[in-house]
Amino acid sequence: MPHGSKKQWLGVARALMTALVLCCIAGPLRAAEDEARVLMLYGLDPYLPPLLAMDKAMRESLASETDGRVIFFSESLDSQRFAMETLGPELAALLAKKYNALRINVVVAVSRTALDFFERYGKQLWPGARLVYVGFLGYELKTPALPPGASAVLSILDAAGTIDIARRLHPGVRRIVVVSGVAEVDRRAEQQAREALATLDERVQVEFLSGLPLPELEARVADQPPDSIVIYLVQFRDRDGRPYDPFEVLRAVVKTSGAPVYGAAETYIGLGAVAGSVASYESRGRLIGEQVRRALAGGPPDPSRTVLAAPNRCVADARALGRWSLDERLLPSGCEMRFADVPIWRRYWWQIALTLAIIVAQGALIMALFHQRRRRRLAEQAELGQRFALAHAARLAVAGELTGAIAHEINQPLGAILSNADAADFMLDSGEDRRDELRRILADIRRDDVRASEVIQRLRDLLGKHDVERTEFDLNEIVSDLESIMRAEARRRGVVLEIRLAPEILAIMGDRVQIQQVLINLVLNAMDAIADESEARRTVVVSVAKGGSGAVLAVRDRGRGIAPEHRAKIFESFFSTKRNGMGLGLSITRTIVEAHGGRIRAESDPDGDTVFQVELPLAIANGGPSPHPA
Amino acid sequence: MSTVPLIHVVDDDLSMRNALLRLLGAAGFEARGYASTGEFLLQALPDRPGCLLLDLRLPGPSGLDLQAALRQQNIVLPVVFLTGHGNVDSSVRAMKAGAVDFLTKPVERDILLDAIRRALARDATQRTAREEAGRLHERFASLTRRERQVFDLVVAGKLNKQIADELGMAERTVKLIRAHVMAKLGAGSAAELGRLAEQLRQLSA
Repeated sequence: MPHGSKKQWLGVARALMTALVLCCIAGPLRAAEDEARVLMLYGLDPYLPPLLAMDKAMRESLASETDGRVIFFSESLDSQRFAMETLGPELAALLAKKYNALRINVVVAVSRTALDFFERYGKQLWPGARLVYVGFLGYELKTPALPPGASAVLSILDAAGTIDIARRLHPGVRRIVVVSGVAEVDRRAEQQAREALATLDERVQVEFLSGLPLPELEARVADQPPDSIVIYLVQFRDRDGRPYDPFEVLRAVVKTSGAPVYGAAETYIGLGAVAGSVASYESRGRLIGEQVRRALAGGPPDPSRTVLAAPNRCVADARALGRWSLDERLLPSGCEMRFADVPIWRRYWWQIALTLAIIVAQGALIMALFHQRRRRRLAEQAELGQRFALAHAARLAVAGELTGAIAHEINQPLGAILSNADAADFMLDSGEDRRDELRRILADIRRDDVRASEVIQRLRDLLGKHDVERTEFDLNEIVSDLESIMRAEARRRGVVLEIRLAPEILAIMGDRVQIQQVLINLVLNAMDAIADESEARRTVVVSVAKGGSGAVLAVRDRGRGIAPEHRAKIFESFFSTKRNGMGLGLSITRTIVEAHGGRIRAESDPDGDTVFQVELPLAIANGGPSPHPA
Repeated sequence: MSTVPLIHVVDDDLSMRNALLRLLGAAGFEARGYASTGEFLLQALPDRPGCLLLDLRLPGPSGLDLQAALRQQNIVLPVVFLTGHGNVDSSVRAMKAGAVDFLTKPVERDILLDAIRRALARDATQRTAREEAGRLHERFASLTRRERQVFDLVVAGKLNKQIADELGMAERTVKLIRAHVMAKLGAGSAAELGRLAEQLRQLSA
């Protein structure tokens, strides 16, 4: 039956298409069977911040500990706002429709209302689902009431712990006020507090404000002196049966109280309560995760783990501590401090540490570079110092060369002095009155004495070891200072020395003696160069002039010139074309010139005329050169 | 012509020169100063006894140059060198060239004056010798041609007779001329004539 089979085929295809479409529209309803499905059944608004924190911790705990895929479903009864007595059956009918084709493995019933709903409808809605009950404030539940196979996570309102923390912060407290409502939950908490306070010493006055309507409660706590303490437990209902949001009551108490307020729930901390012994929603979330995991794993429940309680611990509000000027060191050790103004360095400690490390590393690098630079400068200075020591040695060598000239320059005045003295002797012997002439003789003797000592002084300046000094002087003076010695040397060598000074003062800054040495080196060099020349060429010209950007000292001779192959080397150490030359003169000369910021260069023309030019920068301290004083 | 010796001081150092002139003046000498060899040479040299006190190193030609120049020009003036800084080389050259002494500044008075006196003494000796030679030349120049001929032959040791034969004149005439020659030259004997002839030969050498 090809026709019939074709029809049948079409029917199957249509059914498949429908299934596919349905699959796309309501996929979760027909999800694969190997998934673990957890339904979160909230009695309260699931978007309350503590519940969100709890949910997050639970999911994280499950995700990290479970291998397979866990799908979460969420239903909210919102029983605080909508009465379950009337809405329950209809809601159950809706849920029956929703979960008809879906097997739920675990139902997490958050709050007593959710537990009640599960007990009533759970078996029909989610057959086979295991229950994990999450109860607040502990006394919502009598543990035996749990259905078989169920487990629970409870939090215990720790009135005793909270009172203890409060008393630590107020060691000498005389008055404790305990606020609670008259709902069953409220009464259980109050009972706990009474038990904890029973052990107190009699001098501490304790007052219970139980089930007061809010305005009255506000008035009462406002009357409390600051040295008393207020313990807020929980108030769901006042003595007139008026329901309250316990947080709302806390807010009002904190706002009006004349004394610090302590509270036993995590959410109180942050609403103005100073501190308390509380269980965190996060730790509850982790415990729920553990129970769900165990329920998913199947098997009989572990009797010792059926009911888990989140641990209570000390949590304090740094702002409230500050408001009441309380000493946080009095808190139990390990107490969590919330809302502390975390110093910026603590919040961003690693970024700051990294930044600091980089800065320190950079600083270290900079220091290292500076150190290196300093060492290099010291080394350079030491080298320069050695060059200058060498310069001194070279000056001594020059002095040796100049011995004849120096002796001449000193013996000249000494000879004159002696002869004048002898002449005076004769005049005195003659018995004639020649006083005027004797006076002239004495004047001459004095002048010659000064002359001789000047020569010696100049030589001492030139030859003595001295610290390098920077003074301002006229370049012309350098030449005139040494003129007599240079002339004496020139005469000794049969050389004509021509000196041409600049008409203006050429003030340069530097070490006088070293510049003198430069001059002497160049002049002696020039004289050496012409030693074997004919008389006509035996002339050395020393000139000082303004030129370029500074003062130019030039020494010209008419010797044989500088051989082209030597030109590049003449300023190098230990290079010499002289038979007895050490090869230091010109190298020292260049060191000195460069240390003065100047330049030295040598030029030779084909006629054999050689000129050494030293260009030194002018000192600008006196606003430039000024004319020579007359 | 003054017979007081004149000392020429050549030194380029004014102070030194003045001191030396003063000292020499106080010591009783007459002295004149020059700043360079050129200055000295430009001055007319008076014909007076004297000496030269010469600095070795001078601007331009040196003291040694001056010494050599004077010798070339046959100007005989004893030289005392006085230098600020002498060396062996220059002192040897100076002494070889006939310097009286080679002194270094500063110089002791006695040493300087002693050197000056020795120089003057040498000058005096040389001057006397020169004067004598001059006088001799004068006298010799006053001889007639015939008298010169006779003088030459007498000095050559010829006898009157031989001379007469040689010159073709009478022996008596020779005797007469010979007497004239001896009178003109101031000689008392033939031996003295021989000594004069020797002097002449040395002077003209």
